[in-house]
Amino acid sequence: MKNESKKFKYSIYIFIGLFLFISIIFPILSVISSVSWSGFASLLKEDLFKESLSNSLYVTIISTILSVTIAYLLAFAINRTNIKHKKLLSVLFTVPMLIPSISHGLGLINLFGSNGIITKMLSIDFNILGVNGIIMGSILYSFPVAFLILSDAFKYIDNSMYNSATVLGMNRFETFKKITFYYMKKPILSTLFAVFTLIFTDYGVPLAIGGRFQTLPVFLYREVIGLLDFSKGAMIGVILLIPAFISFIFDLVTKEVKGNNNFSNEYKIKENKVRDIIFTIFVIVILLFLFMLFGSFIYLAFVNNFPYDTSFSFVHFSYVIRNRIFKFLLNSIFMSIMVSILGTLFAYFTAYITSRLKGKFSLIYHILSIASLAIPGIFLGLSYVFAFNNTFIYHTFIILILVNIIHFFASPYLMAYNALGKLNKNYEMVGLTCGVSRFRIILDVIMPNSKDTILEMMSYFFVNSMITISAVSFLFNTEIMPVSLLINQYEGQLMYEESAIVSILILIVNILFKVVIGIIKNKGIR
Amino acid sequence: MNDWIKVINISKIYNNVKVLDNISFDVKKGEFLSILGPSGCGKTTLLSILIGIETADEGKIIINNEDISNFSPSKRGMGMVFQNYALFTNMTVYENVFYALKINKVPKKEAQDIALNIIKKVGLEEHINKKPNELSGGQMQRVAIARTLALKPSVILFDEPMSALDADIRLTLRKELKEIQKEFGITMIYITHDQEEAFSLSDRVMVMNKGVIEQIDTPNKIFNNPKNEYVKSFVVNHLVDKVTSIEKCTGIDL
Repeated sequence: MKNESKKFKYSIYIFIGLFLFISIIFPILSVISSVSWSGFASLLKEDLFKESLSNSLYVTIISTILSVTIAYLLAFAINRTNIKHKKLLSVLFTVPMLIPSISHGLGLINLFGSNGIITKMLSIDFNILGVNGIIMGSILYSFPVAFLILSDAFKYIDNSMYNSATVLGMNRFETFKKITFYYMKKPILSTLFAVFTLIFTDYGVPLAIGGRFQTLPVFLYREVIGLLDFSKGAMIGVILLIPAFISFIFDLVTKEVKGNNNFSNEYKIKENKVRDIIFTIFVIVILLFLFMLFGSFIYLAFVNNFPYDTSFSFVHFSYVIRNRIFKFLLNSIFMSIMVSILGTLFAYFTAYITSRLKGKFSLIYHILSIASLAIPGIFLGLSYVFAFNNTFIYHTFIILILVNIIHFFASPYLMAYNALGKLNKNYEMVGLTCGVSRFRIILDVIMPNSKDTILEMMSYFFVNSMITISAVSFLFNTEIMPVSLLINQYEGQLMYEESAIVSILILIVNILFKVVIGIIKNKGIR
Repeated sequence: MNDWIKVINISKIYNNVKVLDNISFDVKKGEFLSILGPSGCGKTTLLSILIGIETADEGKIIINNEDISNFSPSKRGMGMVFQNYALFTNMTVYENVFYALKINKVPKKEAQDIALNIIKKVGLEEHINKKPNELSGGQMQRVAIARTLALKPSVILFDEPMSALDADIRLTLRKELKEIQKEFGITMIYITHDQEEAFSLSDRVMVMNKGVIEQIDTPNKIFNNPKNEYVKSFVVNHLVDKVTSIEKCTGIDL
């Protein structure tokens, strides 16, 4: 009995260890070892590189500040005001996460480009190509992430602290400084880092709407896809890794200041009509913008030839169908389902090791798992080229599934880590004394008790695999191409209507998947 | 037959520190023995060795004339009640009791009878289909005990089951535990760092400190004849202080 349990323990230890080594450490080492210092030095001197870097820093800093500000205000609106329909709003704010970043760029072109819907309506030139467009697109694509982190942080502040502030006669500013800001400081900084990294490494938005304004990830993308210069790509990739690395170290060394969760009672929102009206208007403006963006996809999908012939037509639909869109959509769905199942399995068992088995290696596993968050998709994809281009998995679904599992590993891993840590730590011991193996306890007790977390993990893996373009962009061939990359293709040919259709299809599939997960979740409660 | 469990010369060394130093004691059949000591005194290690999660460097454990020192945990005939009870929160009261029987391949009909019977005996019949989160603290404790009783152990070990609970509920739980023990007459070994708990529950108390047994005797004798300074300060003075402070607060002469 004891031996059998040990065997199981060691086998998952070794299995997960091998998995993490092959899928994270080995690819990254392959890229980094390929970089030569002399090559690096000459890259740093290149004008195009310098320009791309300063462009990237410029748009990323501005977009990050704006994005986090908007997200903070939205999180405030949900957690600290009496606006209506908060639940629905929280869901709506995250809808932008269900389409690829490149779609946001294209949506803006549909609305504000030189032939855009709004441009034509108002006859104003918005000058959207370039800096303005990249900033707007980056905000659209990143604010939902920031909103989720900040909204969660608001919920952790214990209301009793505000009560004591009132008793102590602190004024509003002092209360904000001593309580709200004190507890939000770390989440805000984390969010700034996370959003910065997200925008800095994204090539979807600038590729679609950047025009001649080239950012670093686009530079990398063009070097690799256009010129097949992988070694230069690797060097740029290493530079893209820097901010992600810094933000990872920051998260690792700063401890979160959290209120005492056991006593955390809900914040009592004070009556304030003026505040509520202001925030209602703010929320409406944001929603209107999102509505226009998604509306533009639907409008473009059914129009004959915008802006010249705006009559209703299926011509673009029949084009994409002839272009085998459903094959690519099925590719994506198959890939995402596999990522969802296998990714959840791997992340769950890794978290099981680090939160419940402990032992010598568990800290290494833990750090590796979180570190995957810091690897930009485009860098990860490139590292898989270096690591696996001579193996049988290259240009197969296996490599696409693997790269996506790692690209999106950290968040689901942390969900499982937190959930498993909260379960009674003696369940396995109960099994041991009652003659029930560890594996049975996991199956019959641990997993049923974390069912909701497992579903959340599956949903996260699925949705992100459906929308990703960065990690997979160097690894596919036309047979196994995910549908999201069709947007790249159509965008390159200026076929905005067709790419709008692809964006809608991805959105629909993601919404359907989320609805199914939601239904399964609710069934369990009854 | 009188010395049902014999623990003989148990020693354990961790990183050159003797966590348990030549521990020997007996437990009589049907006895309630508390092992009392501050954290770090070795009581948890002793428990782990008794149940078989860890092995001792030296010494043996004998139950009913059989040396069980090398038996795996589930073969020792020991049940265990854990901190916070560790009930399976996804299962009903019935399933919690039935589960281990099912896994251990007890024939279904027989397992059902055993589970129902024990649930009835601990007075949980009307709660049989409830999940743990619908139960009171006392009911949870009874489920935890029923779960171990189902496997017919010869002794039940308790690993500070109440240490994370509120003071008022602990009082009720103690009473209930005492009643259950009387009814089933089963041997119990109870680990705790709480002097009141040990003294109110036990037939005998074993006071531990730094890996050795300081004294093992009835509560009455320990209180009146503490063997050394340590027992006096850790046990007797503590209890006296408590009584004095209650007297001060209430004005009642205890």
